[in-house]
Amino acid sequence: MENKKRSTHDRELLISRKLDAPVEFVWELWTQPEHIAHWWGPHGFTNTITIMDVVPGGQWSLVMHGPDGTDYINESRFKEIILHKKIVYEHLSSPRFVATVNFEDQGEQTLITWHMLFESAEEFMQVVKTHRADEGQKQNLEKLSVYVAGLRKQTT
Amino acid sequence: MKTRRDAYQAIADPTRRAIIQMIAGEPHNVNSIAERFAMSRQAISLHIRILTDCGLVTIKPQGRDRFCEAQLDPLQEVSLWVDQYRKHWENKLDTLETYIEKLKREKYGKQKKKHT
Repeated sequence: MENKKRSTHDRELLISRKLDAPVEFVWELWTQPEHIAHWWGPHGFTNTITIMDVVPGGQWSLVMHGPDGTDYINESRFKEIILHKKIVYEHLSSPRFVATVNFEDQGEQTLITWHMLFESAEEFMQVVKTHRADEGQKQNLEKLSVYVAGLRKQTT
Repeated sequence: MKTRRDAYQAIADPTRRAIIQMIAGEPHNVNSIAERFAMSRQAISLHIRILTDCGLVTIKPQGRDRFCEAQLDPLQEVSLWVDQYRKHWENKLDTLETYIEKLKREKYGKQKKKHT
């Protein structure tokens, strides 16, 4: 009954979104520091990308600056890069996880799927717990969803 | 290392998850739980004790037997917060979407330079 092959469903997250832009464009926004700085991290945060070497084995260092002045250092290493198709990176700062981002060419649209596999269920639960404990973060998220909803109304 | 006992701790281990699954349908006694797993009775007892400490299992003595009963309420909190954490990532995509719209407006609105 005990799992011989370690199942992963308890330590992974999968999100996906169909984006209204061709894959080349989405790829550019993901892989160019000047673009990714615009959308990475929660609302109210700004980002400084110090190194972003999008090649297998390449280093990716970014600092997220929180609204309260706290800096969050994120160190990652790219593991696999397939142009316009796939990015695999390993988040080396805590929490440790491997993220696989797939880009699916759908003509004028792109389906992006983002899979995060945490090192262990313990670590994943720890993240969820920390996240729970962080009320400031929660407020940020709420602010963000209101902000995004507002923007959506404006654009439609 | 001393860790706090809560639902997160309880389900961080595959054996404990399997135990919860097993007793979620109907209570089992400690022996019948131990029989299902390829590990010592002591190891299983320890897992059951952790689950009890975490509030996911209650022990009901029945004669000489001790029956383990699942208490699933604390797990709701976990799934709520996993969802919240998922949203944290979804929000990244929200922001990317908004950014795409902004760039498109700039690009098609007034033939702007390709990128800065």
